[in-house]
Amino acid sequence: MSGLSMETATAATLAGSPRPARHRPPASGISRFVDSGLRWACRGAAATILLMLILPVSVLLIQAWPAVHRFGAGFLVSSEWRANELEIPVRDAAGKIIQKDGENVTTIEPPSFGALPVLYGTAVSAMLALIFAVPFSFAAALFIVRVAPKIKIAGPLSFLIEFLAAIPSLAYGLWGLFVLAPFLATTVEPALISTLGKVPFLSWMFFQDVEIAGATVRRQLPAAGRDMLCGGLVLGIMILPIITAVSRDVLKNVPRAQIEGSLAMGATWWQSCVEMLRYGRAGLFGAVMLGLARAAGETMAVTMVIGNNNQIVLSPLAPAQTMASLLANEFAEATDGLHGSALLYVALILLVMSLLFNIVARYLVVGKNSRTSGAH
Amino acid sequence: MTPAPTSPTSPGTAAPAAAPATEPSMSAMPLVSRPVVGIASPEQSATSFIDAIKAGKPVTSAVHPSLLKADHIVKVDDFQLWYSQNKALHGVTMGFPRSKVTAMIGPSGCGKSTLLRSINRLNDLIDGVRVAGKMTLSGDDVYAPKMDVINLRKRLGMVFQKSNPFPMSIFENVVYGLRIDGEKRKSVLADACESALRAAALWEEVKDRLKGSALGLSGGQQQRLCIARAIAAEPEVLLMDEPCSALDPIATLKIEEFIRSIAGRITVVIVTHNMQQAARVSDNTAFFYLGRLVEYGPTADIFQNPMLPETESYVTGRFG
Repeated sequence: MSGLSMETATAATLAGSPRPARHRPPASGISRFVDSGLRWACRGAAATILLMLILPVSVLLIQAWPAVHRFGAGFLVSSEWRANELEIPVRDAAGKIIQKDGENVTTIEPPSFGALPVLYGTAVSAMLALIFAVPFSFAAALFIVRVAPKIKIAGPLSFLIEFLAAIPSLAYGLWGLFVLAPFLATTVEPALISTLGKVPFLSWMFFQDVEIAGATVRRQLPAAGRDMLCGGLVLGIMILPIITAVSRDVLKNVPRAQIEGSLAMGATWWQSCVEMLRYGRAGLFGAVMLGLARAAGETMAVTMVIGNNNQIVLSPLAPAQTMASLLANEFAEATDGLHGSALLYVALILLVMSLLFNIVARYLVVGKNSRTSGAH
Repeated sequence: MTPAPTSPTSPGTAAPAAAPATEPSMSAMPLVSRPVVGIASPEQSATSFIDAIKAGKPVTSAVHPSLLKADHIVKVDDFQLWYSQNKALHGVTMGFPRSKVTAMIGPSGCGKSTLLRSINRLNDLIDGVRVAGKMTLSGDDVYAPKMDVINLRKRLGMVFQKSNPFPMSIFENVVYGLRIDGEKRKSVLADACESALRAAALWEEVKDRLKGSALGLSGGQQQRLCIARAIAAEPEVLLMDEPCSALDPIATLKIEEFIRSIAGRITVVIVTHNMQQAARVSDNTAFFYLGRLVEYGPTADIFQNPMLPETESYVTGRFG
């Protein structure tokens, strides 16, 4: 029998007189020297990476400090973004403008900065991006894991999806600007306005209250094309690869026994997919967070298509601005110290936000997976 | 990945070149006609039979006469299965008697799990699987092109080697089968949950935390939960693929007690590496080797008085 023959073989190898151990020369001095040099080089490289994280953050902190000091947490809830001084005429008790030497008496209102509009723009455009990207990504990941291997296209498909992530964001931006935005402006948005525009509780999507000469006027939003909808769509396309790739890995790690368990119970294909999604829910949430972090930080493409209006308008059909697009637009012209500092304050918020999203995502994707695989 | 349509067992193609049995029961039991009661000849040593299998020569399964006449709920007739180029099952012919516990034993790679997973067609999931021959469940051709695999699996419960509770509450795990059938009545679900958990001897341990996560249970409890999940859907056959291989002796004992307790009510097919377990829980035992059914008979006979010397040497631990 096989067991028997193996025993015989082992016995034969071990048989005979004990063999003396071979004398091996010690490692040479040069190799020891090189060894310690390389060891230190590795330590240095690792320290540099840490330094590269700390340095920009501290520079950002120092530069943003004047604005942080001036506006504090109120920066997050103020919606005024005014880089210039404002001259306000002083009025007397009767409401008449006081004049002196033929000139209006004015007080100077210093520049004021608040991040609420860009926070809002970032949040809404990122949410729109997730709404577009997440169902697509999960469906694509399920396809890659469950269907594609059977028809032998899992490899090429994965490659294509990862390739999408390598396309420069400028390319997406140009496409959004010259193809998507005009399409939205001429086709999609007019269609939305003519169909949903009459629904009473959706009026916030199509109308805007504007103050003109002291009176509030309700005005229909123009079908601009370059708005949050367009920004969200472009962002959605851009975060699709990362969410798909990460959720593919998460779903690949779902134990076979889980899928077979539901199939053996008579689950349909889709019902067993639901079990896969349920099993991988923490990792999938992490994938979404990674996508969110990317959507919030994405600059070039969004700047090109979102319309860059530093104002809060509820409608997704209105132009808006994100934190990153504000920075891209204004940084070159921020001559005033406080203006530049306020921009860096925005950058700091963005950095902290992305860091938080990434930490949560890593914890959910990597932490969870390593824990489950460790338990197996 | 549809299994190759089976030419309905054209006699003499791939069938072992065994002399067909001419028993009167043959017409009544067409599916169990091929295995012949192999009589162990005294000069046939344990190695010669095994060597014949290793050499790929057709061999004749030794099937105890009582099993040829039994009422079989699952019938397997000259069933063959390939994983791509590798043939895993070589013309297995046997029947699983209704409401009995049948154990399948044999060394690793003997095809016992493959045969088990062929019954609920879980092997369909694996790339490159092809089958030939015939298998029926209560008379329905399992591999017929018109067979709805989802409905087939709804009729069969399965317990896996490693417990695989779903990441949801204990209650939702047990009623999973009813849920996917669209059952919404709370009382029906609650009753099914309780009776299944009672049958799996888990009720007393979890009745106060049915809403708690199933993943908080111990390994043995999780496996009994999976059993409860399988029997809550009231399957015709309960398939068990080495259900105790990842459990400690006490948890194993509880599962064995469960199997004994439902014997006579549900048909159980259990694959096990543990021969003592097969001896303890099963009514009949089938011994497989390298994709062939070697001997099949009442458990007592297989372990104490087998027909073939190779069966005896396997069950006494002398090879395998």
